[in-house]
Amino acid sequence: MNTIDEILDYAIDQEQQAADFYTSLAGRAEKAGMKEVLLEFAEEEKRHKERLLAVKTGEHELTPEQEVLDLKISDYLVEVDESDDISYQDALIIAMKRERAAYELYSDMAEKVPESQLKEVLAGLAKEEAKHKLFFESEYDDRVLVDN
Amino acid sequence: MNLKDLLSPFYVWQRAFEKPYTSMRPIEERPGSPSYRGFHINVADTCVGCGCCHTICQNDAIDMVPVEKYSGNKGDSGLRPRFDYGRCCWCALCVDMCTAGSLRLSNEYIWTSREPADFMFVAGVEEKHWQDNELGYRREKSYHLYPPRRIEMEMLSPDESIEGFDEVVKGYDVEQAKKEADRCIECGMCVATCPAHMDVPDYIKSIRDGDYDEGLRLMYRTNPFPATCGRICTRRCESVCPVGLQGDSIAIRWLKRHIVDQVDAKDYARILNDNIEENGKQVAVIGAGPGGLSAAYYLRKKGYEVSVYEAQDKAGGMLRYGVPGYRLPDSGLDKDINYIVSLGVEIRNNTRIGTDISFESLLNDYDAVFLSTGLSVPSSMRINGEDHPRVLSGLQVLADAASGRDPGIGNKVAVIGGGNVAMDASRVSRRLGADVTILYRRRISDMPADIEEIHEAQEEACTIVTQAIPVEIMDAPDEKQVIIKWGEAEMVQDPKGGRPRPVLQEDRMHEDTYDCIISAIGQGSNLDYLSKEVQEQLAIEWGRFTPGEYQHTSLEKVFVGGDVANRTADAISAIEDGHHAARGIDRFLRPEMYTELDQEIS
Repeated sequence: MNTIDEILDYAIDQEQQAADFYTSLAGRAEKAGMKEVLLEFAEEEKRHKERLLAVKTGEHELTPEQEVLDLKISDYLVEVDESDDISYQDALIIAMKRERAAYELYSDMAEKVPESQLKEVLAGLAKEEAKHKLFFESEYDDRVLVDN
Repeated sequence: MNLKDLLSPFYVWQRAFEKPYTSMRPIEERPGSPSYRGFHINVADTCVGCGCCHTICQNDAIDMVPVEKYSGNKGDSGLRPRFDYGRCCWCALCVDMCTAGSLRLSNEYIWTSREPADFMFVAGVEEKHWQDNELGYRREKSYHLYPPRRIEMEMLSPDESIEGFDEVVKGYDVEQAKKEADRCIECGMCVATCPAHMDVPDYIKSIRDGDYDEGLRLMYRTNPFPATCGRICTRRCESVCPVGLQGDSIAIRWLKRHIVDQVDAKDYARILNDNIEENGKQVAVIGAGPGGLSAAYYLRKKGYEVSVYEAQDKAGGMLRYGVPGYRLPDSGLDKDINYIVSLGVEIRNNTRIGTDISFESLLNDYDAVFLSTGLSVPSSMRINGEDHPRVLSGLQVLADAASGRDPGIGNKVAVIGGGNVAMDASRVSRRLGADVTILYRRRISDMPADIEEIHEAQEEACTIVTQAIPVEIMDAPDEKQVIIKWGEAEMVQDPKGGRPRPVLQEDRMHEDTYDCIISAIGQGSNLDYLSKEVQEQLAIEWGRFTPGEYQHTSLEKVFVGGDVANRTADAISAIEDGHHAARGIDRFLRPEMYTELDQEIS
């Protein structure tokens, strides 16, 4: 992955894989209402993918300089076993941790490449993932940490 | 007739072109005296539309009219006073009575118009040049037509209180209750806000009249748990009471309790006179909490044979197992439940649906089923080490205390959370002799717990550490103890405008050792008693039912209510859900009782 197009294609593919992952989890969901929640997550990932497609065609710009709030909620939560019959809380933890992993991946890559347009794109992708993480962490804060 | 007489009418016309001898404004305008009672000013954003000005006006010069801008705001009727200057005598009683302090009089007194209708205006909404007038009549801040402070409630001192589980609040005596009832201005804002729409002004009037039988009858129309709600209601009514805008709101909850205290349980049957005509139909209720028993009461009154299935060994749900006796003693709760049972409602305790009896068999055996199973599963923190044996759930500690079991908390505990369960678990721990530290990730003002509970927890020497986020639970050197690692948090504005969010500061971590950690960060539902097929047919979002009209679900016979079906999760909302479901079940099972017109009105 050396060109900007290649890295964007990778990121777009990752979003599609995330959407497929949630769709597959929804297919196995046992608990009432979980199917809908997971399909909504899949839709959210598709929206992320659309955004990146728009970046690739030049209709949308990444904003590597933008500060994104990090609530650090997922950083201290234990991993969820995805093969279990997952709950709402589990689903949000899975989503937060996936976004965190993606954020760290792009951040690390951005650090490792020399100053270039590619570095800018990687930093921009990291910020995109940070926004996705914030989205799910805010959901967790509002829905799970109600009394906390 | 001579020629002059003939011409004289025409001479008059020449006057039309001369300067008139009269003028439109015969006197030179002079300002009113500084404290003159002139035209009305209303600070419409401060006004809540309680209508006290309208009620007290002796000339019927004020009526309340809807103003769209204020419609739908909490604690605001959406109405504003309109003044009729064909009737007003500028006595300023409206200003003296105004609960919000938004009404005043300017010293402006000159207003000319050829249109009589102009002299009716909505002050503060229709633009008038005197709206910002600094002079005129204002009510002195220290002067009130009604006492602004509520009659103090006698309570156990914090030191006495933590000695045991005796009820903290002692209740009003007759004289105190009458004095407090006298402060009510009967605006009815409370009725609109109460989820059950209890007829608060009228039952408060029954206290003034000394007619407690009538008070009890009025309360039971909308709420079969007055002894309970008279103690632990979340009292949204009080939060909108306009008397509280410039003083203390009416102690509605304590007045409700006072009525119940004055009536002996053995007189309930005579007073409430619930004559039941059997209708031959049967309804099953799952869960004997406030939602389930409220549905059972109103269904029984309509002649249904009602069986309530309860997993615990006693009825009451969270009221019995989640609310400690110092706030709601069993005697109060049982007064409510015993009357419901006395009407012939059958409660089958120790019967768990899904284990002892299948849900499907209830669907087959009954004409309708009402589910009100509450939120019984404690949420977990999901941090490392949470399965440590010295981590207990707040709900379990409360249930143990309610059942007389020792929850084994030790002498030094940390409670995690800021809701009512956290406050109750803390105060129970104090009564069991422990030193208590409450760790809460946000600020006190963000706590969902009742503010009185928070204050009482503080008075009972519970230490509240705010902006503290637990990150890990670890073994302590002594296996009877546990270490919690937590970090300080900074509150940061939510970029999307939601409530401020706590952000962990990883450079400010702490480790503290306790005898146990009590986790009380929220509860979820347990719907395992419903098969996957049934669950898929019911609308469920984030573990809660989302019922339609009259609490009905997409399963024809099934109605739902209470904490498991609403977002407010308080007793009074559950009670209203139960009442509403009873109406819905009756409409479903006996549609012939309701004319088309009825259905349109409702």
